[in-house]
Amino acid sequence: MSLVTSLIMRQMRAPIIILIIGYAISVLGMVLTPGLDNDGNVWHMSFFDAFYFVSYTATTIGFGEIPYPLSNAQRSWALFTIYLTVISWFYSLGKIISLVQDPTFREALKINQFKRQIERVPNTFILICGFGETGHALTRALTEKNIHTVILENNNHLIQTLPLEDFKLVVPGIKGDASNPEDLIVAGLQHPKCAAVIAATSSDETNLKIAVTSKLLNPEICVICRSEIAEYESNMFSFGTDFVINPFDTFANIFGMAMHSPSLHLLYDWLTGVEDTDLTNPVYIQDGHWIICGFGRFGQGLYQQLLKSNIQVTVIDPSETKRDIFLSRPENGNNDFIIGTGFDAHTLTVAGVTEAVGLVSGTDDDSNNLSIIMTAREINPELFIVARHNKKNNEKLYEATNANIIMQPSEIIARKIRSLLVSPLMIAFLNKARNQDPAWANITISRIVGVLGESLPNIWTLHVNGEEARALCKVLRLGRIIRVGNLLQDPRQREQQIKAIPLLLKRNHKLLLMPSDDIAIKSGDELLFCGTPGAMRSMSWSLNDIHSLNYIMTYEEIQDSFVWRAAHQLIKRNERRNRPRQNRHRIK
Amino acid sequence: MNREKVVFSFFMILALTLNFGFYVGEIDNPNHHNVYELFAVVIVNLIATVLKFGDRSQMGAMLLATSLVALVQLFSASIVWTYVVNIQGHTMTPEVMVTIISLSGGALIANFISVILLIIETSMMRH
Repeated sequence: MSLVTSLIMRQMRAPIIILIIGYAISVLGMVLTPGLDNDGNVWHMSFFDAFYFVSYTATTIGFGEIPYPLSNAQRSWALFTIYLTVISWFYSLGKIISLVQDPTFREALKINQFKRQIERVPNTFILICGFGETGHALTRALTEKNIHTVILENNNHLIQTLPLEDFKLVVPGIKGDASNPEDLIVAGLQHPKCAAVIAATSSDETNLKIAVTSKLLNPEICVICRSEIAEYESNMFSFGTDFVINPFDTFANIFGMAMHSPSLHLLYDWLTGVEDTDLTNPVYIQDGHWIICGFGRFGQGLYQQLLKSNIQVTVIDPSETKRDIFLSRPENGNNDFIIGTGFDAHTLTVAGVTEAVGLVSGTDDDSNNLSIIMTAREINPELFIVARHNKKNNEKLYEATNANIIMQPSEIIARKIRSLLVSPLMIAFLNKARNQDPAWANITISRIVGVLGESLPNIWTLHVNGEEARALCKVLRLGRIIRVGNLLQDPRQREQQIKAIPLLLKRNHKLLLMPSDDIAIKSGDELLFCGTPGAMRSMSWSLNDIHSLNYIMTYEEIQDSFVWRAAHQLIKRNERRNRPRQNRHRIK
Repeated sequence: MNREKVVFSFFMILALTLNFGFYVGEIDNPNHHNVYELFAVVIVNLIATVLKFGDRSQMGAMLLATSLVALVQLFSASIVWTYVVNIQGHTMTPEVMVTIISLSGGALIANFISVILLIIETSMMRH
């Protein structure tokens, strides 16, 4: 018996017993009290009559005095019956209503509903702790990819608004403290369907606690942590957290990529972006003098990247201790550190904003950042601006500033985690791509544009195994050779190509970037493709349907039913018989 | 002494004794079986069943099950009685009485098992 039914039953004991006793007394009294029939004889109600009478009286329906008008004795008992039974009904109803409003009961009901929703998840789910901006962006991204998510969030308001969000899948959510192991278990940490835990709360300490709890209670599980402070990061790694994502480091790396090779950055942007949106334009970061306002985690990360490229930088920050540390390092010799906030024209002019090519507004306060951008743009409209965006609700303001790159921590984290979970090969691809020269990225980009046109590609991974590629594996077992290029043929019109590009081939831990069309596929391979949604569907036809695959490979069509197969064989035999003699001989 | 336990045991044993009282006598003689007694048995059994609601233990489940069986038997007996006497309008005949009494005999066994279970549970408790 579940907790909820048990709770109801236990609470309902007293009201039901009172009802039973009330009815019993009334019915018995009605039977015992003498009445008179139409002829004036003494008459007693049977139990059946009495129960009928009491039932319609107690529920205030009141059919009247049947079968005979009641005697005065019966009427006086009926009076008693009315008060007794109606009052017991009121009492019972009151009890039921108060039970429904009982907080314990409601909580039990919510947990029950949550558990049922989890049971209805068809395959695996990912537990997301914290439904802030990161959790929200992540949930949207994962549900778009048909990956089920479950939310654990401390803020009751956010949980209540969860059913109002228009996610593609049902997202079960429960209120609870993610740093409390019991709440994590209730949220499904030890559920066999739970595939991964993402600690995406805003506090590094809570995230650390989530990672520890998850690894202790369910060592098999994949744990992904958001972390903004380096000490916590190394602590998280120390006990086997699978991935720790630091938004500032991640962004600094992306920024470095954009500086080093704009086309590679563009490729990254396309392949990790939201599907079916318009393609973005490349970002070109010029060499010259840069100004960094705000020397926190964000500013320092970007500073390191600029330093690597030997770019002259002026830092503006109000902290004197930071200045002392900055100036004591020998590698910072060429660069300046100005004490100030940066949102006044004077400081910016002193820092050299008139000749500068780029400006980073990287304080942790949105109004300061916006003010810096506005002031700097007024002095030097040509500036390349990198803005740090802290709070989600200021999105419109940042868009209005026309900053060249806007860094939003939650967006960065959501993007990275989505790539990790949806297509692990994508990370391998991007890591390998980083080592290629910029010309390679240019060629890849023009290929993608050539095949896919104007919108961002879908990314999918093909695992060559019996589950995901039934027909393909069957044919491979027969010893036929199927090449990458064959998969790119349209199963409706084999001369045409579907709109997809193979990005990476993984075979026995070896990675091959942009596999060419003539590579033969082997069982156990993993292939990463990008393409249109239509191409993805077409490809799944040729992978799983033996007829489509046969058509592509220009083998003859196989006949499905017995009659057709027999007819087919008959035609074949006749063809052979009617063939010219020497020809037949040669075939032998 | 636990008052809840007293009430609980009281109703279970009362259900058994009343049931027995209704059951004894010649099986086909309507004079030996009182309709008021059947009414009392039904009411006491109902109360005993409700008292067993919401107990999550294995013993609780068994007790609830036996009570439900007794109720089903007693309800069938009362429905037979009502049907023959009030709906068809016949007087009570020995054949009908046999049906009613054998149904209440089934309920008696269920109530008996209930009490046995209660005794087992009590004797297993250590002080």
